[in-house]
Amino acid sequence: MLEISNLSAFYGNIEALRAVDLWVRAGKITTIVGANGAGKTTLLRAVSGLIPTRYGEIRYVGANIANLEPHRIVRMGISHVPEGRQVFASMSVEENLMLGAYLRSGRRHAREVKKDFDFVRDLFPGLAQRMHQQAGTLSGGEQQMLAIGRALMSRPRVLLLDEPSMGLAPMVIKDIFACLRRLHEEGLTILLVEQDAQIALSVSHYGYVMRAGKIRLEGESSELLRSEDIRHIYLGEDAMLEG
Amino acid sequence: MVDFLRNCPQYLANGLANGCIYILVAMGFNIIYNSTGIINFAQGEFSMFGGLFAYALAVSAGLSLPLAVLLAIAATGLIGACMERLMIYPLRRASVLTAIIATIGASIFFKSLGRVLWPNEAYKVPEFTPGNISLPGATVPRQFLWVLGLTVISVLLVYVFFSRTRAGRAMRACSVNRQAACLVGIDVSRMSFYSFLLAAALGSVAGLANAPYASYSIGLDLGVKGFTAAVVGGLGNTFGAVTGGLVLGLLEELIPGFLTVVMGISTGYKGAVASILLIMVLLLRPQGILGKGMVEKV
Repeated sequence: MLEISNLSAFYGNIEALRAVDLWVRAGKITTIVGANGAGKTTLLRAVSGLIPTRYGEIRYVGANIANLEPHRIVRMGISHVPEGRQVFASMSVEENLMLGAYLRSGRRHAREVKKDFDFVRDLFPGLAQRMHQQAGTLSGGEQQMLAIGRALMSRPRVLLLDEPSMGLAPMVIKDIFACLRRLHEEGLTILLVEQDAQIALSVSHYGYVMRAGKIRLEGESSELLRSEDIRHIYLGEDAMLEG
Repeated sequence: MVDFLRNCPQYLANGLANGCIYILVAMGFNIIYNSTGIINFAQGEFSMFGGLFAYALAVSAGLSLPLAVLLAIAATGLIGACMERLMIYPLRRASVLTAIIATIGASIFFKSLGRVLWPNEAYKVPEFTPGNISLPGATVPRQFLWVLGLTVISVLLVYVFFSRTRAGRAMRACSVNRQAACLVGIDVSRMSFYSFLLAAALGSVAGLANAPYASYSIGLDLGVKGFTAAVVGGLGNTFGAVTGGLVLGLLEELIPGFLTVVMGISTGYKGAVASILLIMVLLLRPQGILGKGMVEKV
């Protein structure tokens, strides 16, 4: 579905992504795990066009989408739930969701949009009761649900999720991941970035482990979960061996 | 003191008229600030163009006044649009500060251009309807009614645009969270383009309604006053611009009036009112009168 090859991106002169190769399988949940600063968020931002890339390709349904403007990428069916939720704080929950369907604002889309709106309400009953509340006054978990709901309102084929568990209570994290499973059952392709490898690998099918801008390890999630190597990479022991 | 009170209706009328002009300029600042984060230091020069174009079209070219006014607004809007495409768009990957500094350059360029094309100190733009109206305690030119009417219409149009139209909602989304706006598919650079177009058109209304004189030199003064009004009311807030514009317009009349009539001090200090007001607001209530302050969680 989404094939990233030899991708490099820089922040100034700092190489944040180093020749990353990654394949997001259609209809599956793919995850990227790794410690803070490994380059996971940068990779998602490169895919959705928020930052420029220097080398390499991001192929999506046959076309190279690297360095397209973000709004074109959304239009092509890739929706990004950013780190820190980034809801429109001073707007109501309903306005946030409707802005998610911004590219389908015309009257001829009204029925589809209504259907998606009802789907999101059904997916997150907690939000349904707060439609007229300001998004900034929601709890962290509700904001995360709103951010996911807003991304779904563009009816994506690929959903990019950045640290959905960040700063949330274990119960809420469980809810969020249950909803990801449901979206997977609905046929959505998901690329999940997580610091919490345990939970990310238990929900996903295939996983990549990143450190210092590089993919260090990849495999079936169930295997990675059992693997000893992943601990080494997280703790940085391989760096010590290399160094 | 009695004299001051007797003059008050006149001060209020003048203050209201000037305040309206400041509101128009302040809304221009707000629109661009909201969709791009840029403070456009060339905003006052849009007003300069409005007045000079109206003069050129109505007097030099001899067009009918309504047509001249509409064309002047359109031409100034075009200048705003060109400025965005030629200067702001190429800087979209640079920092906001870089773009702000570039607008200072644009303001100098526009002012020089105005001076080359219209070198005299002042050109008389015809009033829309000449003559005066007598109110109890005050006499105002008929033009004041035009200024008032145009301002009310502009404020309502801007309000409706931002709350009811797709482009307006998208621009509001940009102002609340630019990155999130990108991610829902809003073309942020197009919104920036619209905002310059709209701000330039609004600015031109301020310049051409502010009869009777147009000049290459009015940009700085109107820019400072409009910026003060925007900040006093709360940067980015439409009703803040209205509040700030009215407060500034009225204080600019009442304070020098009081000083002259009651204290016997000369009125040469009128221009200081805006600066003092700006400094006081920034010290005491930096988010502005209607501003909500920085409550955003990171």
